[in-house]
Amino acid sequence: MIDVSMLLFLFMATCAVGAALAVVLPDRMNLVVQTVVGIVASAIALAASGAVLLLGLSFDINLWRLPGLGPISLHMDRISALFVFVTALVYLPISLFSVEYMEKYVGRYSIKFFGFFSHLLFASIVLTLAAGDVASFLFAWELMTILSYLLVTYEHREEEVTSAGYLLLSMSEVGTFAAALGLLIIAGSADNLSFSALRNASSGIGEAARWGVFLLTFFGFGVKAGLIPGSSWLPRAHPAAPANCSAVLSGVILNLGIYGIVRVNADLLPASHASQGIVALIVGSLSALIGILYATIDNDMKRMLAHSSIENMGIITACLGAGFVFLASGQSALAGIAFVVAFYHTVNHSLYKALLFLGAGAVDSKVGGRNMNRFGGLIKRMPWTSAWFLIGALSIAALPPFNGFVTEWLTLQTLLQSAVLSAKGLKIAFALCGAMLALTAALAVTCFVKAYGMSFLGMPRSKAAESAAEAKSPTIVSMAMLAALCFIFGITPTYVIPVIDGAVSPVVHQSVTDELVPPFFSGNKTKNPKFSDAFMAEFHDLGAQVGSSVLPGRGLVVLHQGTARNPVIFAMSTSYTFVVLAILIIGSVLVIRLLFRNRVVLRKPVWDGGIRRLFPEMTYTATGFSNPVRVIFEAIFRPSMSENTRETISGHFRTAIRNGREETYVVDRALVNPLIRSSQWLAGLIGLIHSARVNAYAGYVLLTLLAFLVIQTLI
Amino acid sequence: MSKWVLLGIRSGTKTTRYPSHTESAAGISPGRPKDTLMADKNAQALIRDLCPTGALNPKNDRIAVDYRRCISCRRCARGASTLVDWEESWEWASLSAPDLNASSALGSPFSQSLHIRVLDAGACRACLSEIEQLGKPYYNIHRLGFFMTPTPRHADVLLVAGPVADNMRLPLEKAYDAMPTPKRVVAVGACALSGGVFGPSFTSYGSLKNVIPVDVEIPGCPPPPLAIIHGLLVLTGRRPPAESGATSFLDRRSGT
Repeated sequence: MIDVSMLLFLFMATCAVGAALAVVLPDRMNLVVQTVVGIVASAIALAASGAVLLLGLSFDINLWRLPGLGPISLHMDRISALFVFVTALVYLPISLFSVEYMEKYVGRYSIKFFGFFSHLLFASIVLTLAAGDVASFLFAWELMTILSYLLVTYEHREEEVTSAGYLLLSMSEVGTFAAALGLLIIAGSADNLSFSALRNASSGIGEAARWGVFLLTFFGFGVKAGLIPGSSWLPRAHPAAPANCSAVLSGVILNLGIYGIVRVNADLLPASHASQGIVALIVGSLSALIGILYATIDNDMKRMLAHSSIENMGIITACLGAGFVFLASGQSALAGIAFVVAFYHTVNHSLYKALLFLGAGAVDSKVGGRNMNRFGGLIKRMPWTSAWFLIGALSIAALPPFNGFVTEWLTLQTLLQSAVLSAKGLKIAFALCGAMLALTAALAVTCFVKAYGMSFLGMPRSKAAESAAEAKSPTIVSMAMLAALCFIFGITPTYVIPVIDGAVSPVVHQSVTDELVPPFFSGNKTKNPKFSDAFMAEFHDLGAQVGSSVLPGRGLVVLHQGTARNPVIFAMSTSYTFVVLAILIIGSVLVIRLLFRNRVVLRKPVWDGGIRRLFPEMTYTATGFSNPVRVIFEAIFRPSMSENTRETISGHFRTAIRNGREETYVVDRALVNPLIRSSQWLAGLIGLIHSARVNAYAGYVLLTLLAFLVIQTLI
Repeated sequence: MSKWVLLGIRSGTKTTRYPSHTESAAGISPGRPKDTLMADKNAQALIRDLCPTGALNPKNDRIAVDYRRCISCRRCARGASTLVDWEESWEWASLSAPDLNASSALGSPFSQSLHIRVLDAGACRACLSEIEQLGKPYYNIHRLGFFMTPTPRHADVLLVAGPVADNMRLPLEKAYDAMPTPKRVVAVGACALSGGVFGPSFTSYGSLKNVIPVDVEIPGCPPPPLAIIHGLLVLTGRRPPAESGATSFLDRRSGT
């Protein structure tokens, strides 16, 4: 039998060895050793969390009992295990990717520094997820925040990078403070700080305190997850960090925000009000829409991906919000579906976003820049990178048979189930948020058509793009692994959902495997309480049982049948879709080959209107492609336009006109900048008492003394 | 504005009924000089010198007309004591090689419908002005199954006007290259046939034939719209080509 706690300690030891080795070894060897240690550590973490997820071997280790803090313990249930599993799944390819990518820093920045802190970061992330009490959770959380700050500001000689790092650190600290306050409100009525004690104490907490805890933890952890209004650090930190750090940041650390929200508001103190869920739903939908809008118009490849991370975190949060609403309304089956979808989307987002960041990093290190206007035609120069990037783009744009489709489809279907809710206001909120998410999904396609088309297709628009070379094999293999995972998680939803359901069912007290994955492989033989025989027979006529002789499991169709009040059925099968797509594509290729075998095909250069030569400047750019979106949503972007004209003699003889356009991020404009301005105004007001006269200061002393005397007499 | 439908219905169809009926509207064609009997050697020399492009050449007791060169300046039709005869017709298009059967080469699927790409290879715009008339209600080539297309990728026929200026050679070759086979080329106007008033020079190739193979020639300066329609009909085999291309006429004369 596998001892999970043993594996966890082995993992910690591996990370410690890795960090120690990173300090002593010389640079080139260091990179290889770091990769090997990273892969081993990820494999151990995968084994540990996989054992918890699949076999249910949850464990509880009591470390110490500290005075004032209570027991310090490590605990891993299936929710933690799911997040650890995703972390390790993403960390493994990223470690492999780093070998070639980090080479460009050799001699410029310290490789030892990077190796030391990246191993510690991995350990601190797992520690955060495995923490069993508030004290160790907050300690590991802080450690993770500071380590991620150190890695984001790796190129510390660039001013842009350091300022982005300070923003990350300060916003994260504000969020952590709020979340810690929320946790302490619960802990106020508990015996000690362990999560189980908090869980027991949660039933005795009053309404106002519940709302306080919800708002503090939701918005506090929301900063880490990159939800509005705490999202403005994300688009600045991602382009600043090295690509492998960005992949960790987006694929792993954002998930921790979601983990925090789930741990507190679904597990420790379950959201009791439907309106709390609506808050999460609206914040999530708005984050999704604003994220994808900025992603669509951004030409910096990594900032585009960062905005798209905000979008995906928004989708996850909207789904969680729907789950909270269903849970508060007593619809535990639908709540379970919503949570399953949210977790599934978290997994998917980690996979494809890590893949896209690695692709962006590979392109960045070969072309030397992140501006998509300077790319183009990379498919000829970097064929493998472009192939894997394409799979990432297809996944994130939610196209079957890749994984993004499964969860975006399920998200929208879950929101459509709002018909079971009785309150009219809830239904309206669900409908509006569903519409926002649908718009988001459509814009995501635009965004990634642009990202792929403008970077990899067409003509090279710069000398650097023309002379780019393909990345080395470790880099390509790392991306291929993630692409394969995107595909696997896309065509096997019926196998993934039961596993995630294991993590969700303790929270909602109901298993949703029966709700989402009907047993078509064995359906007609066994009596099933959920589905009538006639219903099952109908789907058997459609072929839902195909493959039952060779495949294990319940079936390949994701299907949900509503209750009598809401008899809506939704069904989908990416597995069968994939088979049909493959047959259609291969079949049509074969038919075309057969029919046109004897036909002479002339290949001529593209018709360019008869010009002497097609210059890259004449082709479509990323800015041009996204301009319709920029114009339509002008009210959100509110750009400030500037025209800078250079003249020779008078206004009639212009030698150069430079049109500028600057956009302030909508969250900065609406919230952060007014906050900064008002605090500066307040500081100026307080500054007035600094009159720099001794008499005045003596007067202040006297006034203070008087005030104390008055207070003394009153009390 | 709101009455134009009624006005249109009241005025009826004004479109020309060529080729199913003959066209008799006044000024429908500027006409062209005709092969004329002229025995007097002095008169022949005078006429030859009058022609600015050398289209009129004495041949035995006749004045032969090289339609590829004629720019319809009408100097031979006025201002001399002995004048060349003038014919009022428009069916002038001929196949560039007498043995070429354009319609069968293009294939029967194209006999009722063609897509045409117009290309200005340095024309003075007179020919293009006439080509523009083809799409207008009076001539309306759509009724005959002819359509203009903006890209050579969709075109079956390349309709070229102009003497092929140096700068237009590359676009012309690229457009010809971009067309799918089977493809045909129609040269419109004296410039495309012989260089016209420009001739071969340091900026022009003098004739479309010097750059790409030509299948149908439509002489005239400019050829009237009906002549261009006739050329397209010749290409599809729906009308016979003109009797007398200048060279073939001379050849026939010398052969007999």
